[in-house]
Amino acid sequence: MTSTTGTVAAATVNATKTYGHGDSEVRALDDVSIEFRAGEFTAIMGPSGSGKSTLMHCIAGLDELTSGSAFIDGIDISTLKDKALTELRREKLGFIFQSFNLVPTLTADENIRLPLMLGNEKGDTEWIDRVIDTVHLRDRLTHRPSELSGGQQQRVAVARALANKPRIIFADEPTGNLDSTTGNEILTFMRRAVDDLGQTIVMVTHDPVAASRADRIVFIADGRLAGEMTSPTPDKVHDFMKTLGH
Amino acid sequence: MFRIALRGILGRKARLVLTSLAVILGTAFLTGTTVFSATINRTFDNLFQDVFRNIDSYVRSSQVIEGDFGAEERQRIPVELADIVSKVPGVAEAVGDIQAYARVIGKDGKPLGADGNGPPTFGSVGQPFKGQLWTITKGAYPKGGDQVALDEATAEKAGYALGDTVKVVAQAGSRTFRLVGIASYGAVRSPGGATFALFDLPTAMDFLTRPGFVDDILVVGDGSRSDRDLSSDIAAAIPATYKTEVLTGAQITKETQDQIGSALSFFSLFLTIFSLIALGVGAFVIYNVFSISAAQRERENALLRAIGASRGQVTRALLTESVVVGVTGSALGAGGGIGLAVGLSAMLRALGMDIPSEGLAVPSSAIVNTLVAGTFVTVLSALLPARRAGRVPPLAAMRASAVESNGRFTRRTVIGSSIAVLGALVIAAVMAGAAGSLLGVGVLLVFAGVIVLGPVIAVPVSRAIGAPLSRLRGVTGRMASGNSVRNPKRASRTAAPVLIGVALVTAVSALASSISGQIDSVISKQFTGDFVVSSNAVGFGGLSPQLARDVRALPEVDHVTGIGFTAVRVLDKGQYLTTLDPAEARYVFDPGFVTGGYDDLTADTVAVSQKYADQKSLKMGDTVAATFADGTPRTLRITAVYAEDSLAGRFIISDKVVEGSTAQRFDFGVYISVHDGVSPDDARAALKKAVDSYGSGRLESKREYIDSRAGQVKQLLGLIYGLLFLSVIIATVGIVITLLLSVFERQRETGLLRAVGMTRSQVRSTVRWESVITSLLGAVSGIVLGTGLGWVIVAALRDQGLTSFHLPVGTALFILVMAFMVGVLAAVYPAWRATKVDVLAALNTN
Repeated sequence: MTSTTGTVAAATVNATKTYGHGDSEVRALDDVSIEFRAGEFTAIMGPSGSGKSTLMHCIAGLDELTSGSAFIDGIDISTLKDKALTELRREKLGFIFQSFNLVPTLTADENIRLPLMLGNEKGDTEWIDRVIDTVHLRDRLTHRPSELSGGQQQRVAVARALANKPRIIFADEPTGNLDSTTGNEILTFMRRAVDDLGQTIVMVTHDPVAASRADRIVFIADGRLAGEMTSPTPDKVHDFMKTLGH
Repeated sequence: MFRIALRGILGRKARLVLTSLAVILGTAFLTGTTVFSATINRTFDNLFQDVFRNIDSYVRSSQVIEGDFGAEERQRIPVELADIVSKVPGVAEAVGDIQAYARVIGKDGKPLGADGNGPPTFGSVGQPFKGQLWTITKGAYPKGGDQVALDEATAEKAGYALGDTVKVVAQAGSRTFRLVGIASYGAVRSPGGATFALFDLPTAMDFLTRPGFVDDILVVGDGSRSDRDLSSDIAAAIPATYKTEVLTGAQITKETQDQIGSALSFFSLFLTIFSLIALGVGAFVIYNVFSISAAQRERENALLRAIGASRGQVTRALLTESVVVGVTGSALGAGGGIGLAVGLSAMLRALGMDIPSEGLAVPSSAIVNTLVAGTFVTVLSALLPARRAGRVPPLAAMRASAVESNGRFTRRTVIGSSIAVLGALVIAAVMAGAAGSLLGVGVLLVFAGVIVLGPVIAVPVSRAIGAPLSRLRGVTGRMASGNSVRNPKRASRTAAPVLIGVALVTAVSALASSISGQIDSVISKQFTGDFVVSSNAVGFGGLSPQLARDVRALPEVDHVTGIGFTAVRVLDKGQYLTTLDPAEARYVFDPGFVTGGYDDLTADTVAVSQKYADQKSLKMGDTVAATFADGTPRTLRITAVYAEDSLAGRFIISDKVVEGSTAQRFDFGVYISVHDGVSPDDARAALKKAVDSYGSGRLESKREYIDSRAGQVKQLLGLIYGLLFLSVIIATVGIVITLLLSVFERQRETGLLRAVGMTRSQVRSTVRWESVITSLLGAVSGIVLGTGLGWVIVAALRDQGLTSFHLPVGTALFILVMAFMVGVLAAVYPAWRATKVDVLAALNTN
């Protein structure tokens, strides 16, 4: 399961993203080159408008770079057409968003298996069972999202992100809408996904406490890499953020 | 608040366009049909304005037999009256005139013009006369028994040139003439698309009516007297024994125009009913759009309430929007309707109903009515959603997302079922003998009840339709099925227009196939011969009685009788009596005599149907007073009673009763049996030769005859389908609008699905299947409702001879296939829009 630990799961090379033209041009990403290693939990931090979400969206194939390249599992995704890119997201990536993670008409179980169902695959049943148990959802499988609490909904989202054994999971402020206890619980599940299940996670957050649960933090400011930190603690993160003018 | 409403409208142009679209379509048909009717009316008005333009007085018989549906048959008058009239001081010229049935046969042997529907085919008098509008443009007036003139348009269409031999069929049979003149009618080449064969007066009387008799006398004065004085002098000069009446030119013009007007008003009413159905269907779509948009704006309205807007203000804002949409939509609809009228005229012309057109008549009332009706319907449709919008609690502004409430439907189930049951009871009462006019009320109540029940029905029916889809189409089918029942109210409102259209089509089809089945069994049972020659002419013209005589002479033929009808005043009422040759009819036509039989039909007896005899308490041996179209009073004795009146009608008389009458007499059918041992092919060949020499009349075997009669019902059905087609279009647009609004509402969800790996084609497929489920929901409920309705109508008509109900299985299958296609088609644009969802924007909208 962890045989790929240490290899590069995702990377960017000279990634640049601009909006607008001429005087009104905005550089959301400016020549960012970065690697995310398999089996690692990485947090991307930065002030609002720093470009951290843009970076994640571009690596995840949800947005296009203006110049430079983004790689998933060695594949240059900027060369892929929409259909191939969609299939890549379905098969190799997992997503956890801040809110509206689930399809309201489907049950929790169907939401977890959604990427597999979309690809008309059954998936690894044993693995999915293990994932469901890991996030403690066994007794909630037939419920619809409207019948689940916010924390339970996010757990379903975590399980869905894991269901297809992705190469890498992208999480965009996964605890942003939760109270601290529930948020902490979700982070614990994500931690276990990396430690026990050998998964790779890239999480965008502006919360130092959440970020400090990661193995490594990458700081972004004004579209550029502004630093890195390994073995973070909330205090260290907080102090570093201050130096970024926050 | 008014400004907020206006901002609301302008801020969401797409929604404005969508709502207006429903109004536009709903109102376009209304304007279209009004303009179309007005145009036809004006055209005929102008035409008949001209016919008697130069006529000062008009003399005709005062003896007339009025039949059903405004039809009348007037007695003919002796031509010598023209001499009497000519001698009246102030009269410059008086001539006999005839307007009778005559059919010109083309070079290919096929008759020109259409039977039954379309402009009439006339035989008339072509003579030099000051008062008439015919002018010879080529050649000369016809003179003698072998000459004919044709109107320009007919001559050109048939490719006839001066000197050609032309065959014409009329009451006296089929004759050939030499074409000696081409005539134009006033300024036009042919009046109203009718065909005219013109003869000199003696030939016209001999060939078209009866020697010595004409339809009327046309009089032109010398200008010394007013029309009114001249007419009363003429009236005084004609001996009372002639039983005539004299009209002025203006009077006969007005009378003719009024007759045409009332004939057309039935047609207008028919169109108006369908345009009102279309508007009603449109109202549903409008109601749906306002409901959805009110729900989607719940937060915005709640915010307005929170910052101090009153309930009334929020409601009025939405109503203001509906007024703007109603007025704009109706105005555009009126414009579109004028275009539609042009299209309708073109369509009718393509179908062979040649309508002379002199540009469109656009009465201002058409526009005003459309604007008022369109705006009224729009505001009415917006009333409930607007009230609901006003009732939004200010707290809703804080809610994450607002969707229409879909609580339990207990109250709805009770109310809806009550209305539907009440309707069913009313219908049951009608069937048990209550006033027939209540049937419509009952049907409307059932419809209303079903529509109230819609959301309750929508969930289980949509689930059932969606079930196989989930299995066949995987996750997209599963999600489509889930989406379709997500909002039962919306689903049922979207399906309702489909339901209404489908229910009407199914009911009409059920009625039609029951009638077809009835025709089949009636003809199979009562017609015992082998071949039929038939004519589609209804009321005017038909087959010459000579045809039956010609057929009888054929060696292959065993028995033959012409079946005709003649207008007679019986029991103080104009009625059509069936005429036949009793000696021959016994072998080919069996009306199921209860007492007496063909042997008892002589020159002064009559057979009456059992039903009518019971109704009027007539018994064997009774005598009935009858006045024939030539004015002769007769006394007929009842010597036979028969059971089956579906072909024979109320009375049967021997053709000997009317022998020598001046009334027009045509057969509508010739029933034939051939000798044993003559092969059907030989018989057909021999008969065909005889029939072809007449040009008009269609030869068919018994089976073919049954099929073509049943086919006529289908033709009518086709017309009704055509008119309901607009409702189908509106229903489809309704689905498109709802889908678009739903797609818009689910942008975020679509964004999520795209992010986790749904391909564009899967997105499209989800929208498409949802659309198909909605469309089928309407179709399936509509078929069930329509079948029930059809059964009720057929049962209510059992007195009219409809005895068995036939399920329109073919139509139902066709509707399901159509509904499937409508679903797929309606989804094209919304599905494409759904794939255009910007994944990031959708995910970032918090």
